[in-house]
Amino acid sequence: MQVSFILLSLAAIGALAFVTARHRAIASVGGDARRLHSLPIYYGLNGSIMALVPALALLVAWMLVQPLFLDGAIRSDLSDSVLPEGSAMGLVVSDVRRVAEGLESGPLAQSFIAGDFADATPEEVGRMLVRGGTALGAPLTRPVLDAAMEYRTTSRTLRWIMGIAVLAVAVIGAAVAIHRSEGSYRARNVVETGMLGLLMVSASIAILTTLGIVMSMLFETANFFSQYPFTRFFFNTTWQPSFSGRGGASELGILPLLWGTLYISLIALIVAVPIGLFSAIYLSEYAGRAFRSVAKPTIEILAGIPTIVYGLFALITVGPLLRDAIASPLGLGNSASSVMTAGLVMGIMLIPFVSSLSDDIINAVPQAMRDGSLGLGATKSETIRMVIVPAALPGIVGAVLLAASRAIGETMIVVLGAGAAARLDLNPFEAMTTVTVKIVSQLTGDTDFNSPETLVAFALGLTLFVITLGLNVLALFIVRKYREQYE
Amino acid sequence: MTDATAPGAVPSGAGQGSLLARDTRTAKRNAAEGRFKIYGLVAVCIGIAALIVLLTSILTSGLSAFRQTTIDMQVTLDEERLDPSGARDYDEMARVTTFGYAPLLRDGLQATIAAAGIEADLDPGDAMDLISDESIAQLRNRVLDNPDLVGQTIDLTVLASGRIDGFYKGRVSYASAELDSNVSPEQLRLAEALEERGALRTGLDWRFLTAPDASDTRPEAAGLGVAILGSAYMMLIVLVLALPIGVAASIYLEEFAPQNRWTDLIEVNISNLAAVPSIVFGILGLAIFINFAGLPQSAPIVGGLVLTLMTLPTIIIATRAALKAVPPSIRDAALGLGASKMQSVFHHVLPLAMPGILTGTIIGLAQALGETAPLLLIGMVAFVREYPDTPLDGGFFDPATALPVQVFNWTQRSDPAFVERASGAIIVLLAFLLLMNLTAVFLRRRFERRW
Amino acid sequence: MNDMRHVERTVRVDTTKITARDVQVFYGDTHAIRNVSVDIPDKTVTAFIGPSGCGKSTFLRCLNRMNDTISVARVEGRIEIDGEDIYDRRVDPVQLRAKVGMVFQKPNPFPKSIYDNVAYGPRIHGLARDRADLDGIVEKALRRAALWAEVKDRLSAAGTGLSGGQQQRLCIARAVATSPEVLLMDEPCSALDPIATDQVENLIHELRENYSVVIVTHSMSQASRVSQKTAYFHLGELVEYGETGQIFTNPQDERTENYITGRIG
Repeated sequence: MQVSFILLSLAAIGALAFVTARHRAIASVGGDARRLHSLPIYYGLNGSIMALVPALALLVAWMLVQPLFLDGAIRSDLSDSVLPEGSAMGLVVSDVRRVAEGLESGPLAQSFIAGDFADATPEEVGRMLVRGGTALGAPLTRPVLDAAMEYRTTSRTLRWIMGIAVLAVAVIGAAVAIHRSEGSYRARNVVETGMLGLLMVSASIAILTTLGIVMSMLFETANFFSQYPFTRFFFNTTWQPSFSGRGGASELGILPLLWGTLYISLIALIVAVPIGLFSAIYLSEYAGRAFRSVAKPTIEILAGIPTIVYGLFALITVGPLLRDAIASPLGLGNSASSVMTAGLVMGIMLIPFVSSLSDDIINAVPQAMRDGSLGLGATKSETIRMVIVPAALPGIVGAVLLAASRAIGETMIVVLGAGAAARLDLNPFEAMTTVTVKIVSQLTGDTDFNSPETLVAFALGLTLFVITLGLNVLALFIVRKYREQYE
Repeated sequence: MTDATAPGAVPSGAGQGSLLARDTRTAKRNAAEGRFKIYGLVAVCIGIAALIVLLTSILTSGLSAFRQTTIDMQVTLDEERLDPSGARDYDEMARVTTFGYAPLLRDGLQATIAAAGIEADLDPGDAMDLISDESIAQLRNRVLDNPDLVGQTIDLTVLASGRIDGFYKGRVSYASAELDSNVSPEQLRLAEALEERGALRTGLDWRFLTAPDASDTRPEAAGLGVAILGSAYMMLIVLVLALPIGVAASIYLEEFAPQNRWTDLIEVNISNLAAVPSIVFGILGLAIFINFAGLPQSAPIVGGLVLTLMTLPTIIIATRAALKAVPPSIRDAALGLGASKMQSVFHHVLPLAMPGILTGTIIGLAQALGETAPLLLIGMVAFVREYPDTPLDGGFFDPATALPVQVFNWTQRSDPAFVERASGAIIVLLAFLLLMNLTAVFLRRRFERRW
Repeated sequence: MNDMRHVERTVRVDTTKITARDVQVFYGDTHAIRNVSVDIPDKTVTAFIGPSGCGKSTFLRCLNRMNDTISVARVEGRIEIDGEDIYDRRVDPVQLRAKVGMVFQKPNPFPKSIYDNVAYGPRIHGLARDRADLDGIVEKALRRAALWAEVKDRLSAAGTGLSGGQQQRLCIARAVATSPEVLLMDEPCSALDPIATDQVENLIHELRENYSVVIVTHSMSQASRVSQKTAYFHLGELVEYGETGQIFTNPQDERTENYITGRIG
């Protein structure tokens, strides 16, 4: 049974439940809607909710559990003996799934049902599948084909059962709601409780997202560390993934990547913090109203520009400029992509971020502090340097930490501006690479989710997540403490 | 007060002496004040200058993507070559590959050259390099769509090849052509001769916005059609999912949530999610939506889901601010009339907060539109030439690219003409962002209410 | 405290310290101060009283040009200190404010140590030759503000950690550390409890030895306790100015009488 068909049927049942429940409620009080406990629409809504919510919940749960169940079934079907030489169980299982899908929905589906292939050899079926657009990990063998047919039958059966079960739940829910729809029934309260539940579920999606992020990375990272020792990952100073071998030949040390990340972030902050801070100070303490109303939004435009634009800017303008104007003449390198290129452009990106955060923080320093200092005969700049900035220091530190976390997690600028060579070097005009660049390069193109070269990306991602999360939590904590001080 | 006043003269202070005479120390301090002020002004100017340089650099290298060099010619669609059977049967005609069509264009170009009276010492094969390979495929598709054209002589405007196009956009010169194996000075001379006779021209061409991507060797034909469609699909998904979920979550947190640990946890979570690097969301999409849930790679549905999760915190933060701005008296008034809490929120608070919510949503969408990194991980860098179907035909599950990813894709190609394409794509992206932000500003101006 | 003290107090009229003539202050379109002319004597406590919004604080802030920091404020007329026009173009407000110190309504110690708070003024104005000199200035200022005994053992503690009354005395110490000639106080006790108020009032009484003190207060009893001269402001105008005892016992203007007897305020 197609999911779309199930959804359409559910919509129909929901609509029917709405009309019937509403009608029955009005009928129960002899057509005088004033004698109902709630407005008629609530009886209708109650009908729809009772029909749809449990049924949809069942549908979603079923679709999540079914693949897990089927995978288990394949695994128990295929004994170890049928495994082709040197291939892992996971690969065979995914082959089985793909073959089954190819038979189900590919161009072969029609002829297959007609029984054309009853006598075809697995090789022939395999060739036809490949022609139909199904990618296969290994040549099709008899046990795999059998398992696939079995899989296909089971999954069809399960789909049917699911459809019937979901629709049955919907009908039962609708019937219960309609049955209850009488004048004294507190439909509004029930509907509102239901809606509150929906609101709560929506709010919890944030938690689910975080959970999803952590889970998805934890599992694959654990998988990675089972193939590659974590001491080598954290303490090895070489990054050299091999493309042919499996694991043994690869050097996957995170240190050169972390070095590149921190070096670029440092340059970005050296650019962004003074410029951002001074702009904020100038705009909030010195600039006239007219200048401020033009300059502030102009600088904030920088914040709205997507990072890919900065990346292209680094690639086509800043990189060649730095190489031709500084690096080559001084003999410091001849690569357009370099730590300096990426750091400089990232610094520009962070200017509005630092400046708008600092602006908020400087404005939070009470006017009394300024008056106190000016009243003693301090100049404006003395007041700023000796009173306002020290008073705002915790907040500014928080803002810098947030900016650092941004810089560390930034991807497109470094992908296009920093280069791909993992290197532990001090020369800022040398190409280096970062954690995010390697996540992209290990996870794009041909990926094999059983090799450490791919899985390492999850370990890198988790490291990145932990570092940025730490910085963010620390920064938010500092900023919150700072604000409390002046409230 | 034992230690109150220490008798004795007042120590000499700073304010001693006449106010009208400036002492040197004050002069120094005022100079420092002036310097400090200049530092600030310089910082502001650096920020503004960076923006100007950035935009200028993108505009100068990208605007030419909207112009295209084309050649007008007449082509005789020889029945012998294209449909030997004469039956106009699609399958039969489809057997003739682009190799069968190339000679027709070659002959057409020679005829055009001859008709214009140009003395070209180029053999027909080299002259043919003036024409984009893509044009041959386009001619074939046109004939296959209209089999009746076979046997006729038609007027045709074809794309010039990338180097010729580059010649008219300043990328290629006679000097560079000497060193370039893809183009020769003779070809450039022929192009100039054709231009003089009016057969070749460079003009505005909107195909950049509608055409699909083209292969590595045909930058002149590469367009943004698939990318714009893919981005539009994803924005639709983000809007449909993120707006209701975000608003529902905000209403719960702002109006109903009890003060407890669970609520705290959700709030901390949301503020942290807003600061998680975008690439981490890409990993989430890859692991959960593609590997676990089995959704197809490169599909707008996956991109849309990932961007939805990324945009939710932005929308929630904006919506909560908008809800907070509605004064409590409105709620009290509704509650005082006997409305339930839910009714007061949905009938009164929410409509009043709507402009703020929409502004926040548009800003969230604009962020999502420019996001690149997570889309790379879910396979949207793929080379996609086929337009996705309409959403009703399952287009959300077809492979597609997105605007920013297309930019990245083009930066990875070797032909320098793709730099122009990438910059042009960015202009399109920035134009969309500008449009969205202007809408947000308009909404805010038009509906802003001060209490 | 004897509230009738002012009656028997002799007023030592030295020279005139501050002279104001026809001062007008505008906040944008609002005419906040109209035609105020007053002579404020040296070594005296002068109190500005009047209902809230009457312009007494605004006028006070003209005396050390603190109104300059508000962009919409505009001052007209002539104010002289020791015969020099403080709104002269050659006058640097920074130098002026070193000569005319100010204490604000709410204690506003900087988020620094007690020592650094007091040393702030001497440091920016370069009053100390070396560290020992600075230590001496800080100690003297703290003694003058009657705070030394309470804080001498914790000079490096945060100034914000003191009690309200101590904070305000710290701010006074901060102001006297630059050795001003005039001390302006804008309702210095309004944020303090009665005991702290008493301490600060005693202090003001003693400060008079060395400075010309101008205090804005909304409390008539405070004005009568600490000042020798009193000026009554009403709706931006200076209604009456004279000896404190005379203003409180025998006001000449009806509006002053109404205020003092509690009919307006």
